[in-house]
Amino acid sequence: MKMFSGKIKKIVCLFLFLALNPVSQSFGQDISVTATVDKNRLTLEDVLQLSIIIQGTQNTPPPELSSLPDFRVVSAGTSSSTQYINTQRSVSITYNYRLTPMNTGTFVIGPARVRANGKTYSTQPITIAVQKPSNRETAGNRTAFVVTTLSSNKAYVGEQLVYTFRVFHRIDAKNLNLSLPFDKTRFHKEELGEPKSYNKIINGLQYHVQELSLALFPLKKGQYEIPSSIIELDLIHSTQNRSSRDPFSQFFGRRTRAEHKVLRSQPLSIEVLPLPDGAPEGFENIIGQFNISAELGKNDLEVGDTTTLTLTVSGKGNVRDISFEEPALKGYFKIYPDKPEFHQTIRNNEIMGEKVFKFALVPLEAGSRTLPKFSLPFFDPGKAQYRVAQTPPIPLNIKPSATKEKLNLVQSRQQDAQAPEIEILGRDIFPIYTELDKFQNARSHSSAFLGISFGSPVILFILSAFIIKQQKRMKYDVAFYRRRNAYKNANQRLKKMSALEHSGLSAPKEFGRELSEILREYIGNKLNLQGKAITAEEVEIRLKEADYESAEVTRKLLERCETLQFAPTTRGSTKELLGESENLIKLLEKQS
Amino acid sequence: MKYSNGFSLFLFFVLTIFTSLPTDASEYLKEIVRANDLYSEKRYAQSAQAYESLINKGVRNGYLYYNLANTYIRMGKTGPAVLNYIHARKWIPRDENLEANLKFAIQQTQDKIEPPAPGTLSTLFFWSNDFNLNELIYLAIGLNFVFWVSLALWLYFPSLKIIRNALFCFLLLSFFSIGVKLKNESDFKLGVVLVKSVEVKSGRAEDAVTLFQLHEGALVTVTDKYENWLEVRLNDEQKGWVPKNSMGT
Repeated sequence: MKMFSGKIKKIVCLFLFLALNPVSQSFGQDISVTATVDKNRLTLEDVLQLSIIIQGTQNTPPPELSSLPDFRVVSAGTSSSTQYINTQRSVSITYNYRLTPMNTGTFVIGPARVRANGKTYSTQPITIAVQKPSNRETAGNRTAFVVTTLSSNKAYVGEQLVYTFRVFHRIDAKNLNLSLPFDKTRFHKEELGEPKSYNKIINGLQYHVQELSLALFPLKKGQYEIPSSIIELDLIHSTQNRSSRDPFSQFFGRRTRAEHKVLRSQPLSIEVLPLPDGAPEGFENIIGQFNISAELGKNDLEVGDTTTLTLTVSGKGNVRDISFEEPALKGYFKIYPDKPEFHQTIRNNEIMGEKVFKFALVPLEAGSRTLPKFSLPFFDPGKAQYRVAQTPPIPLNIKPSATKEKLNLVQSRQQDAQAPEIEILGRDIFPIYTELDKFQNARSHSSAFLGISFGSPVILFILSAFIIKQQKRMKYDVAFYRRRNAYKNANQRLKKMSALEHSGLSAPKEFGRELSEILREYIGNKLNLQGKAITAEEVEIRLKEADYESAEVTRKLLERCETLQFAPTTRGSTKELLGESENLIKLLEKQS
Repeated sequence: MKYSNGFSLFLFFVLTIFTSLPTDASEYLKEIVRANDLYSEKRYAQSAQAYESLINKGVRNGYLYYNLANTYIRMGKTGPAVLNYIHARKWIPRDENLEANLKFAIQQTQDKIEPPAPGTLSTLFFWSNDFNLNELIYLAIGLNFVFWVSLALWLYFPSLKIIRNALFCFLLLSFFSIGVKLKNESDFKLGVVLVKSVEVKSGRAEDAVTLFQLHEGALVTVTDKYENWLEVRLNDEQKGWVPKNSMGT
């Protein structure tokens, strides 16, 4: 059951996908592409509407239009439609273009190509005739027209010209799109403020005028034609009004119709003249009419004071390009130039400008000085001659400083002057070394050297650690201490007994007791027992437990000692017993 | 008695090792005096020859390399001068005169390439740059001895644990310093251009593309060698192959 409901879901999803997905709209429907125009005869003022209609699909890339050099082509958007007729579904998409004719004549709009479903479809070519605008409308009664003017048709290179574009229209105009085709290599262009809008009556007809002015600066000499400026606009015509008594007109207003127009101005010709010869010295292509003025903050000042020299250049022309170097006052003044300020104004449709240069001057010496003149050579196109604008010389009276200690600038210079400056006259290497003790041969170390150097402290440490450990054990381990000293003690006592035996002073009974005690004490020390208290049998058992091979011999020797103690014999037997005891102790020492 | 015998044997070995070092120093000291005198008499070619002959005999001394480099400077041979200053720096890294003269020599070269900056490990173990390898080894030997002595003392005086641990850290650092020094000497092998100019090629062939040109005294890092070619690196981007006989390492 679950499987069945899953299948239904899949089918529904597939159906929805097919119904909604635009890609699927081309299934089962033939694709056709057609091109249509709204008219095939038009004037230069008209715009042609070209539509490429693609039937059968809506999922195609934009059509590829053929080359149309005589038209300016602008996309006007797309529209798509879906229709159901008798359950038959048809889809289409229309790509719209706006073609503005640039020349008169008969032109063919070549086939546009559309790629869809891996195939390429082409439209049929369309022939279009473009004529000049009809002359039945004169300038006096035309609905809209354009006029362009140039302030002069003759100008010098760099001279400012004013180009004015005016569009006159008697009815409402919307969507104005102006293009001014200037050659950037021939003119430098600057806008002269915002467009103006005003009304003007021509031959009794009121026109609304929109005016745009530009300042043009010719860059090259020669005869040149400024091409037509083109403006596209929608003229809003009002169609027949509803009856004024019609109550609905109050709500719906007037009915209007938009007419798209392309208006062209007449081309203008201009002759650009080169600058005449005889430019004054320092002339830097400054063209126009300029005034220059210089002003000093204060003419009387003390050494260390600061005053500002303000140099102002104003006039009509390329004021922005004017520059001045620092006045030649070094040595007398410390000069701090400021960043020039430039202000541009538009006056009488012409660019006027003002550039202000400021220099902070700090006199370094007292005395009367005169600031030199500032000169600005320029070419005056109005008078067609070179001129030089100059500032008058400015006298300046500099007194010695009254408070020298406050003049940080001067003080600091003096301090600098007093500071010793070591002039580097040459560079050389440091000399060679001659001390012979420095020239010991640095040998690379052998493995043996490194091994001993690094290994010997380790060996020494191991030895030291062993000794220390032994000493500690002797100190704290009684059994170990007794065992280590057993032989030494026994040997000492046996030597004493040997001396007594040789002197003949010891009695056999005492000798037997003493020898027995030495042996048992030795064994007691070795086995960490109370040696004096144990019997000969116990000694044998303990020695056997401790893996001594001479356990039995030891028992027998101890018994003989006891025998001697209680049944004394001759001196010869004591000497023999002493020797056996010494040998036994040595033997036991080896076996331990 | 047994211990004293062992110690005597140990001392005998140590003394044998130390006293077996060659003591023919007076021979070459005389030669150094002669080379220095030749330098003072401005007979630089003969002086350089005398220094070179000592080096060829196996004498390794930073001041010897320094004097030889000075001689080459006087002869106007910046390439061998820079090379010998670099050799001298291996033995006398803290010598200020050496640093100044090396800088002077580099300024005389056309490429004016400074020695490469120390790597990360050298920056971390910064003191290893100021000691030569022998000094680092002696330092490690000394620390090793002191450490084991402190360890022995610690058995007697357990309160010396901190000193023991500190000495252990110093000992480890000294071993690491030796490691860093050895690694630097193997990884950053410097080479100096000894000919007037050399074309650095993209491959080990005369007809390979010339990537750039180096001039006498230019300092480079030698990163590889193959038959008669050395791979040299100027920086992260510029490297190539040069004939082995044009470089001194």
